[in-house]
Amino acid sequence: MFAVSQPIYRIENLVHRYNNEPVLAVDRLDIEPASITGLVGPNGSGKSTLLKLMAFILRPTDGQIRFNGVPAVPFDESVRFQVTLLTQDPYLMKRTVYKNIAYGLKVRGDRDNLTQSVHEALAMVGLDPDAFAQRQWDELSGGEAQRVALAARLVLKPRVLLLDEPTASVDAASSELISAASMRARSEWGTTLVIASHDRQWLYDVCDEVIHLFKGMPVGTGRSNMIFGPWIRQDNGLHVKALGNGKCLTVSAPPNEGATAFIDPAAIRILGKGEGATTAHTAYLDGTVSRLSLERPGGDLFADVRAGSLTLVVRVSESHLAAMTLHRGWPVTLAYRPDSIRWR
Amino acid sequence: MDFIFAGFIEAIHLLFGGDGQTWSAVAATLKSSSGSMAASLTLGIPLGFVLGYFDFPAKRQVRLLVDTALALPTVFIGLVVYAFISNRGPLGEMGLLFTLTGIAIGQTILALPVVVALSATAVESMDRHLRTLLISLGANRRQLLLSSLWEVRYGVLAAGLTAYGRVMTEVGISMMVGGNIKWHTRTITTAIALETGKGMFATGIALGLVLIAIAFGVNVCLSFLRKK
Repeated sequence: MFAVSQPIYRIENLVHRYNNEPVLAVDRLDIEPASITGLVGPNGSGKSTLLKLMAFILRPTDGQIRFNGVPAVPFDESVRFQVTLLTQDPYLMKRTVYKNIAYGLKVRGDRDNLTQSVHEALAMVGLDPDAFAQRQWDELSGGEAQRVALAARLVLKPRVLLLDEPTASVDAASSELISAASMRARSEWGTTLVIASHDRQWLYDVCDEVIHLFKGMPVGTGRSNMIFGPWIRQDNGLHVKALGNGKCLTVSAPPNEGATAFIDPAAIRILGKGEGATTAHTAYLDGTVSRLSLERPGGDLFADVRAGSLTLVVRVSESHLAAMTLHRGWPVTLAYRPDSIRWR
Repeated sequence: MDFIFAGFIEAIHLLFGGDGQTWSAVAATLKSSSGSMAASLTLGIPLGFVLGYFDFPAKRQVRLLVDTALALPTVFIGLVVYAFISNRGPLGEMGLLFTLTGIAIGQTILALPVVVALSATAVESMDRHLRTLLISLGANRRQLLLSSLWEVRYGVLAAGLTAYGRVMTEVGISMMVGGNIKWHTRTITTAIALETGKGMFATGIALGLVLIAIAFGVNVCLSFLRKK
């Protein structure tokens, strides 16, 4: 007999509305145990709502969230001590740092070695327990408060840690410590992580899967280029988006002026600088390689190419690599077919 | 001006000389106000929490009623309570007229809207992230309510303090329901009104000083609690 591993989350036909306005619609989403999943998307795309539903803080308007195979709703005993969410705003209760971190353990009736557990959690997020444990909630900087908030979750050794823009409002040092502590939770306790962030590069670096959300719906996984309007119609019938420095991105007819374009990184070719001129079938865009990175699961090489105000992600094929030298700062020309663009 | 100064000197004699009538009024005030505050806080804090935390039909109308009740004149409350507990009233058989219990009932009606309205305001001002935080740390429904109330404890304390201020300083209810009976239902405020009417400023000023001292003592205690 083989034990078949089941997803820790199975979301089916989920719809959530605020004031009768649909804000999230997920037909099917599975999250594997001990995995790291990234959520990316613009503001208002439904990331925070999805995390609150997964944290069982909100009850979905329609549909079901199965946790460990069992349908669950807020306050269910099957999920209450399993899942925890860290929000973007470092909100703490009006108590000392110690009491803030100990709260979750006390709720669980776990009062053994309370001080030791709190001190370990503080150390995990890079805060000196002796200096911080007895501080009041309002005696902390923004970065320290967010780290204390994370420590209050880590002390619980959760099965699932949901992070909503955990590094958005903190300095670089705090951001690094928060990232490291979150990753340690996965490696030490097998915690499943789901992270919503605007820092795509970080997500691409650490996540097993990155899900793109747009207007409340998952629109794809992996690396993708999401480009917002407005699109300006030109005399030749094509539309462009001005990128500054005299550069513009040429696209086929968008469904409307404010539509969002999705360009698959594999549908863009990298050429030597100055090769090709834009036609109705192929568009060219000059840019500079700003970063090269290796995708974690697949091992594919990706190049970030900066063109004016836009950075496009391009999958670099082996034939490209053989034909040309790529490194950071290298000027290149990107070629893509405007009719390969998907619109939302 | 001399009589005012003389009043202060006399006040010190009355207070520290252990004048029976003065201390009887102080005791009556403390008894009736303690009873009314215990009742109004016990009823008002949960009601204020419900009004501030939950959404329910007619919430706005209830809020409007409570806010209107904030401005209830003490003589009107005195009149209504008198009507209910007088011999001809529906509660006349309980013998509450001209008793400290009767005064406490009227003062509870006075304090309750203050506690409910200000507690509700404190709960409404609670950070919207608190609920998310508490649930995500594993709180059940009961822990969620208790921890939320604890988070707004300073607002609730302020509600209690404001209500206590109104109860301690009212005259209308004590006068009408209590009857200002010497050694029995004469409170600090009714005594001040009576003594001033008789031209006995010293007793009036002495009792005024006691009122201020009590208010100061309560604030010192609360300030100490806030630090803890």
